[in-house]
Amino acid sequence: MNVIRTFGLSKTYNHLVVPVNALVNVNLEIAEGEFTAIVGPSGSGKTTLLNMLGGLDQPTSGQIFIDDTEITGMKESRLIDFRLRNIGFVFQSYNLIPVLTAIEIVSFIMLLQNYPKDKMEKRARELLDQVGLADKADVRPQKLSGGQQQRVAVARALASNPRFVLADEPTANLDTQSAFNLLDIMLRLNREENITLLFSTHDQRVIDRARRVITLVDGSIVEDQHFEK
Amino acid sequence: MKTIIVVSWRNVWRNKPRSLTILMAIAVGLWGGIFATSISAGMMKQRFTSSIETQVSHIQVHNPQFLKDDNIRYGISRADEIERFLAKDSAVKAFSSRTLVSGMIATATQSKGVRILGINPVQEAATTRLSSTIIDGYYLSAGGRNPILIGKKLADKLKLKTGSRIILTFTDTEGEIVSASFRVQGIIRTNHSMLDETQVYVRQNDLQSLTGGRAIVNEIAVLLHDLAQVTPMVEAISGQFPENEIRFWGQLSPDLLYMNEMAGASLMVLLVIIMLALAFGLLNTMLMTVFERTRELGMLMAVGMNKIRVFAMILLETTFLTITGALAGGILSGVTIYVTSRNGIDFSGVGGDTLSDYGISAIVYPELFPGFTGNIVILVLITSVLSALYPALKALKLKPSEAIRQ
Ligand SMILES: Nc1ncnc2c1ncn2[C@@H]1O[C@H](COP(=O)(O)OP(=O)(O)OP(=O)(O)O)[C@@H](O)[C@H]1O
Ligand SMILES: [Mg+2]
Repeated sequence: MNVIRTFGLSKTYNHLVVPVNALVNVNLEIAEGEFTAIVGPSGSGKTTLLNMLGGLDQPTSGQIFIDDTEITGMKESRLIDFRLRNIGFVFQSYNLIPVLTAIEIVSFIMLLQNYPKDKMEKRARELLDQVGLADKADVRPQKLSGGQQQRVAVARALASNPRFVLADEPTANLDTQSAFNLLDIMLRLNREENITLLFSTHDQRVIDRARRVITLVDGSIVEDQHFEK
Repeated sequence: MKTIIVVSWRNVWRNKPRSLTILMAIAVGLWGGIFATSISAGMMKQRFTSSIETQVSHIQVHNPQFLKDDNIRYGISRADEIERFLAKDSAVKAFSSRTLVSGMIATATQSKGVRILGINPVQEAATTRLSSTIIDGYYLSAGGRNPILIGKKLADKLKLKTGSRIILTFTDTEGEIVSASFRVQGIIRTNHSMLDETQVYVRQNDLQSLTGGRAIVNEIAVLLHDLAQVTPMVEAISGQFPENEIRFWGQLSPDLLYMNEMAGASLMVLLVIIMLALAFGLLNTMLMTVFERTRELGMLMAVGMNKIRVFAMILLETTFLTITGALAGGILSGVTIYVTSRNGIDFSGVGGDTLSDYGISAIVYPELFPGFTGNIVILVLITSVLSALYPALKALKLKPSEAIRQ
């Protein structure tokens, strides 16, 4: 079953002197449980594509369906709610809430979702445990290493119980050890919990582990490889 | 919501120096505003009390004819009944019946026009502060022949001392000119220097015997225990003695009424201006906050924090900042007012003497203007909402995809 489907997705940035075609006619299907890397040279449109799929930006033309819901053209207020309930985000520069502790950050998403309060703490601890940070629950981000922060971000992304998780260059700021560590966690979540993961990367270490690699060049998909792992 | 409150509160303390700066500005601004208005309020209260207790009293009774044509002939009808009525009513603190006539005071070499008040010394002492304003000699007593009290200013002008003899000349009830010799028994100084020059006090029965022996009363001044009793008392007297004109302090001294009503408004304007200035500082602080946190705000919106919550977060953060500052300013003001109101602030060194020309003593006891606390709280809240509005709207306009790129 496909979680994400796009039809003729294009994005042109017009506000510059020369219009930039960041995405050109992208047709893509992502099935449930996939572990997909989007690769390509800098400026090829990886971030743009992920932003479109995550409902953070609207394409110039084309359509995006998440399950059976079309998110293109959706009103911003509905889109925010849609993102909250369906999409998990992990950003390159961690982007946590600096004034909250790890467990508060993870709970924050559930609070926004009006998740039952009595079960919230238990679930937040479970999620932190899954990313190996059970002992850092009451620590604020600035006291965590980059790798640890990114793992909190993963726990936060999963907290909303999303249909899929988008990660834009999640390992770009991490050292090799932390990158592998994060990757292992993501892979395990993918295998054990059947979490659908879609991420962009330049990082060969990450690419090697992906089961599907989509290559973008100048906003177009030039290659789409599936590997059995 | 609770989490948003927590986040907002913690956000306040993220940039401590900046938050403390604006906090202090709010605290000091409010403190200055409240303290300044409290000094004004103290002065005004003093001026009010002083006006009431030295001249106006709460209520005055006259013959309506007397008010049109200032002539001793127009006495209050049934004055003795009114006195008995007042004496029985427990709301009445004191009253003083007076016989009034305009005339001339003359020494061997000079003369001056004056207002002559024939008073009952005991009643007058209970109703006004006259007896305590004696700076030389004695207050009027039952003994002695034709004693008179004159003001310090008049005494200086006419070069009079206690014991000096003067001649009072005036027209009696029949229109005949009467003169009599009086002896200065005491010199008074009130904090109303104009009256000290133009009013003299004699015994009511001395005056009455000079004007034909009729017990004519032109004015009854009534002092009540409580300001709130004024209106019912005016109604009660008017009901019983409708042929007389009964007026309350606001009619007797429109200045006083105007002052009381305008004072609150103008002091409030001062506070509003101060808060407006603070609002700009606050707005600037919050704008900086929003700009600094562009990426974080973008992230929050990306992961599903809706606009209402983002707005609430920024509004709360501003409100916490304002309330904390206002609380500090409020406590500071409270302490300052408490301390200064006990001993008063002496303004005599800085032009306080001219204050007494306006019926204000040089020592001022600050007090919180009545009803201001509530207004200040509302003002503070309005300020924080106003200054949060623009930064919050800025935050809402952020596009998550662009905000995160930064
Ligand atoms: N907001 C924007 N305004 C104008 N042009 C943009 C904007 N965002 C992206 N672009 C342009 O669109 C193209 C694709 O950018 P995008 O960020 O998607 O590439 P990317 O593959 O993520 O690159 P990188 O690997 O460097 O992150 C680039 O040419 C970029 O300059
Ligand atoms: Mg990118």
